[in-house]
Amino acid sequence: MSEYVFALAVNGLVWGLIIALIALGLSIIFGLLDIINVAHGDFFMLGTVGGLVVAVGTGSFWLALLVVPIVGLLLGAVIERLVIRPTLRQASLTIVTTFGLSIIVQEMVRATYGPQPRRMAAPIEGTVPVFGIDYEIYRIAAAAFAAVCLIVFFLFLNRTRLGTWIRAARHDPETATALGVPVTRVCAFTFALGTAMALLGGVIAAPITTVEFRTGVDILPFCFMAVIIGGLGNLQGTVAAAIMLAVLEGLMTSVLEPTSARILSLGFMCAVLLVRPHGLFAGATR
Amino acid sequence: MTVARVRAAALAILLVALVAVPWALPALGATFWVNIVAEILIWSLLAASANLLFGFVGLLSFGQALFFGFGMYGVALSIEAWGFGFWPALATGVLAASAMALVTGVMAVRLTWHYFAIITVVFSLIFYFAAMSMKWLTGGDDGISFSPPSVFALGGHTLSLGDATVQYYVILAIVSACFAATALVVSSPLGLRFKAVRENDRRAALVGINVYATRLIAFVLAGALAGASGALFAFFGRYASASYMFYHVSGEAVVWAIIGGSGTILGPLFGTGLLIVFRELVSTVWEHYLLAVGAITILVVMFAPRGLAGAWNGLVAGLLDRGAEEPRRAAIPEES
Repeated sequence: MSEYVFALAVNGLVWGLIIALIALGLSIIFGLLDIINVAHGDFFMLGTVGGLVVAVGTGSFWLALLVVPIVGLLLGAVIERLVIRPTLRQASLTIVTTFGLSIIVQEMVRATYGPQPRRMAAPIEGTVPVFGIDYEIYRIAAAAFAAVCLIVFFLFLNRTRLGTWIRAARHDPETATALGVPVTRVCAFTFALGTAMALLGGVIAAPITTVEFRTGVDILPFCFMAVIIGGLGNLQGTVAAAIMLAVLEGLMTSVLEPTSARILSLGFMCAVLLVRPHGLFAGATR
Repeated sequence: MTVARVRAAALAILLVALVAVPWALPALGATFWVNIVAEILIWSLLAASANLLFGFVGLLSFGQALFFGFGMYGVALSIEAWGFGFWPALATGVLAASAMALVTGVMAVRLTWHYFAIITVVFSLIFYFAAMSMKWLTGGDDGISFSPPSVFALGGHTLSLGDATVQYYVILAIVSACFAATALVVSSPLGLRFKAVRENDRRAALVGINVYATRLIAFVLAGALAGASGALFAFFGRYASASYMFYHVSGEAVVWAIIGGSGTILGPLFGTGLLIVFRELVSTVWEHYLLAVGAITILVVMFAPRGLAGAWNGLVAGLLDRGAEEPRRAAIPEES
């Protein structure tokens, strides 16, 4: 029994790290462009599908891991230019535009890749004994890789010029413009980067989830929970909340049905929204 | 002709056309379309519910499917469990949805902007997951089916929903009543408070409007509209299913309302009609018609954010203005 609980907690940690990556993408887009991207879950789904297709097509998962996020970066830039930027003036309606985007992405995948769910073989096979249970090596590798990506992201944001620009544009777009930061281009890049992070999360998650056009619909509420509980725009908070929520849900599923666990975390999110609308860790960032 | 007269005439034409549907469409050999029109009428109430909140009070809700679901289950469960008749079951559905809107609204309308959209999604997701897992009560994804009671029984005559024409008129009557009620509310002092809150909640508060109460009233009324929609859809399909509580249903309602024209009374009806007719016509020849729906959604927000009704109102006003200006222009040379 205790091994079983442990395995659920580790599963939660693995998923938490991957979701943290996706939710961070959602969070930087919200923080800078002030839009709620309902299509973000579908970008994750696009990552799982792209990962599977490239890995099966070329025979190399590692190539997929490299190529798909780059495609995501380009795709995000194109979508920002064609769909997001023209509708930014209708700020309250961006949820509607991204909802339309979400319909298009799902239907495109259904039209090309097909409606059947598929599973993908793990690129690293075998299991390793962890505290008395045999655990898949790939899941541990996926968690480690997601953690490395998170560290690289924060280094990029805090140590490079582009990262500084993103933070500056988020803090005060007008002053940033006056100081010569190309805010419009920084916004475009941020949207592209957020999209690429969702696709990257998708490739990492492809071997441990079902790959189909609906996966994004399941993952989106979880990403939103992480972003809200962590505090909208509070990036470290988002990461902490994603990991905490996933581990807690994993532990709760040892005594509850998965849906009951999900209902409890959604209820928790409601409480946070109402009582601490700036997130659980609001005081810590000040 | 004034703008008001043109609009009254258009409304009369629309009503006559809707009343004529059960004769006109079969005469044209399109009996199947009577049910499509009925479906449009039902779903337009859900779009009207989203529109009441977004178009008149300025709150974008992505959770109206929750109240649609409560309307559905209010009907299905009260008929299954207590053997209710048509009208009590309909009332149960609407009341259940309104009560749920009151309970969730007390919390939700404290928030605005993106936060309001998110909390409405969260509430609907909580009850979606709950309904999905409580199979003993809701039947989950498969839902529960029931046989609908007769609408009226007087002496030996009964009106039953089994007759497609009766069913259509019952739906048309209830939907028309709901739209008329919405129009009354919107043009009442309460409706003015709605608009004041939408335009600027701080100024509304300064002139003495209770912003919180105004939003809550709108939320409950919108819940009642969504509940009526769900209740009618339960009668129409003779079943209730938890799958209709998912947030994609709410999203569709918002899309219909915005394409039709948010902030107008009949806009949601036109938006719903356009998209459902589009679905029926195109889905048979093109499996992936949803691609076009997504594209239309984005294009409308980009180029016609006031929707079909907004474009129509602009057209009417523009034509009448030109008509009014031309004689005046012609009169000037005569005078000089």
